Amino acid sequence: MSAIQSAFPGAVLESKVESDRRLWITVDPKRLVEITQFLRDKKDFDHYSGAAGIDKINDNLFEVVEILTSHGAHQVVVMMKVKVPRDSPSVRSLTGLYWNANWYEREIWEMYGINFEGHPELYPLLLPDELVGYWPWRKDFKGYPDTTTGERAIEQVGPDGYTEFKIMPHPEMIKAGVVPERPKYPTFREREEAEIKSDSEMIMHMGPQHAIVPGPFLLDLLIEGERVKKAFLDVGYIHKGIEKIMENRTYLQGIVYTDRMCYLASITNNEAYCGAVEKLLGITPPERAQYIRVILAELSRIQSHLLGTGEFLTLLGAATYSPFQYMIIDREDIVYLMESITGARITHTFVRFGGVRNDLPDGFADKARPILKRMRERTEEYMDLLHSDPIYTRRMRGIGVLSPGDARRLGVSGPPLRASDTPYDMRREDPILVYPDLDFKVVTRKAGDAEARVEVRLEEILESIHIIEQCLDQIPDGPIQEKLPKKIKPEPGEAYYRVEDPRGEMGFYVVSDGSEKPYRVKVRGPVYAYMQALPPLLEGAYVADVVAIAGSMDACTSEVDR
Amino acid sequence: MVLKSLKYTLKTALTTTEVTRLYPEVMMELPANERGIHELDATTCIGCGSCARVCPNSCIEMVPYKYGNPLKNRKMQFPQIDYGRCTFCGLCVDECPVSCLKMGKRTEIAGWDRKDIVYGPDRIAVKKFSDKEVAELEAEAKRQAEEKKKAAAAAAKEKAAKAKGKENKAKTKPSEGGEA
Ligand code: SF4
Ligand code: SF4
Repeated sequence: MSAIQSAFPGAVLESKVESDRRLWITVDPKRLVEITQFLRDKKDFDHYSGAAGIDKINDNLFEVVEILTSHGAHQVVVMMKVKVPRDSPSVRSLTGLYWNANWYEREIWEMYGINFEGHPELYPLLLPDELVGYWPWRKDFKGYPDTTTGERAIEQVGPDGYTEFKIMPHPEMIKAGVVPERPKYPTFREREEAEIKSDSEMIMHMGPQHAIVPGPFLLDLLIEGERVKKAFLDVGYIHKGIEKIMENRTYLQGIVYTDRMCYLASITNNEAYCGAVEKLLGITPPERAQYIRVILAELSRIQSHLLGTGEFLTLLGAATYSPFQYMIIDREDIVYLMESITGARITHTFVRFGGVRNDLPDGFADKARPILKRMRERTEEYMDLLHSDPIYTRRMRGIGVLSPGDARRLGVSGPPLRASDTPYDMRREDPILVYPDLDFKVVTRKAGDAEARVEVRLEEILESIHIIEQCLDQIPDGPIQEKLPKKIKPEPGEAYYRVEDPRGEMGFYVVSDGSEKPYRVKVRGPVYAYMQALPPLLEGAYVADVVAIAGSMDACTSEVDR
Repeated sequence: MVLKSLKYTLKTALTTTEVTRLYPEVMMELPANERGIHELDATTCIGCGSCARVCPNSCIEMVPYKYGNPLKNRKMQFPQIDYGRCTFCGLCVDECPVSCLKMGKRTEIAGWDRKDIVYGPDRIAVKKFSDKEVAELEAEAKRQAEEKKKAAAAAAKEKAAKAKGKENKAKTKPSEGGEA
């Protein structure tokens, strides 16, 4: 990609072509926006995939990595880095170029305190408004628990004999200036109330605990009559800090945490993380292990789609029958198949660096084939049933239409994007494992409405079944684990690896500093992107359709919050 | 078209086999590599503590236990697992150098108290020695230790002798040199 170099002499400080699909460049922070614009307009990098912040405390630098890709024009992923000094970190915001840069930059701001010039709303996203102390993901952060002493709280016995625990940092510490105070900004509530313009408008809360939401998040709708005027999203209710936890665990222990991000996609999360670490270690798993991973990934896709669709259909009030029950019954078979391989039902921790944990059990193919066959019949039946259900079609057809242009602009991926006529699938875009040897088609729909999204999911189940059947036919004998170094300590470096999650593009960006713990792990999840796209999608919709629209995205809050 | 769905409901009701589980009475069939409660083979565990080190949740603690093999496990320390924290990830099983830790099909862990679900080696051991065997093994260990001690003492003696010899030699050397 010397085109960038020639177009911007002197702006590219470092560059590395890792393979024909990965390009790492470090650019001058002053010219970041120019270069990005050039890439977007001239080189078809129309998909902003995410951004990550890294605290290079030893070099006294912050790094921001912007991940740019293209929707099908080519398969190159540009990892564009800017380095800014630690004492006055500020980067130009890319929100002007890519709409969906908004949340990624907000997250970096709240975690690292890197200012984004020109960002429209630098408010906390995952962290609560009331949090004390600031920039928790900086390496020198001393909040609670204080990692230097391990103390979580200070125990004090009052004069009345009661013991009080003061969570650190406590108010006195803040007053004494040990912990810098957060800057002041309007809270979520103040922000949304500022939008109420007349008496005829009101705010309706959906959540944090609401039937449509698969986990806790707050969806506030500013409504006028029956129409949604504006939607506000507050996420972060189950922020677990997994990325930070993984910095304090060894590489191997990290696998366990990837499971917990989204239990419906735990295999693909494992896969993405292990893939990234394998890249750092420079190993490839043996072929049999690759097949096993593909089988599991597809099984997990089937069960995830079944549960997602079933759950959602109940909310729509599919009155005369309850597809949820049927789909759960079918899902049970699939989950049982997975359990017979991995030994666990949902949190598998199964993929290992350079292989898998154990081999397929004896007679797996014979057991799987009839189940897959039945699954195919059932899925076809569901498609037929849904198609002929008048209540369902009334509620879904033409609702929440996402045009191809909008879908790309908002940065969604996975089934919602494919339902908007964009054949963007990581298994094709960034083929991993043995996917290039397998025959499957990328399911797309033209309509882009809620119905199309469900159709895409159901048809993907059929494709997955097709893939698994091929795998069962083709799987070779052989070892399932590549030889590993005794201690997993990758050379200093970084890797980005993405897979097609049941819900879309899932990427792991892992930075190693040569020790046995990762220096930084960034998760680029698909649901994060959906969630961000939800407010614009809901604008102008009827309140009654909100459920259909939000539900058809098949979200998983746990992964958004991580 | 609502009839179609009704028809489907009826069809499923009549043809699908029973799906509800009669759980406490009938346990579902678990696959061979189910990851349930750990099974420790106390006769082969060497007490290396690898399992405790790899556990991401630090739920393994090494505790003393009597019925192991003192020949291999000198300190007689065996894993104790806190099921209040275990995520059944199986890393400890993979890490064990002598493959004495496995995960079995037992999955019921409920207890009244948090302490109830901390399983010591006595509760996870599936293979262990009896008192008599332990006594024999201990005697054997003692004997071996003594032998070793003796051997060590002998070796030390020899070494000392050698060193003395060397010293003597060293002492004699300059004198030799002087003579020459
Ligand atoms: S299964 Fe995992 S969590 Fe449980 S004791 Fe073993 S290593 Fe720890
Ligand atoms: S169970 Fe295995 S890993 Fe754990 S102490 Fe015993 S021998 Fe070592």
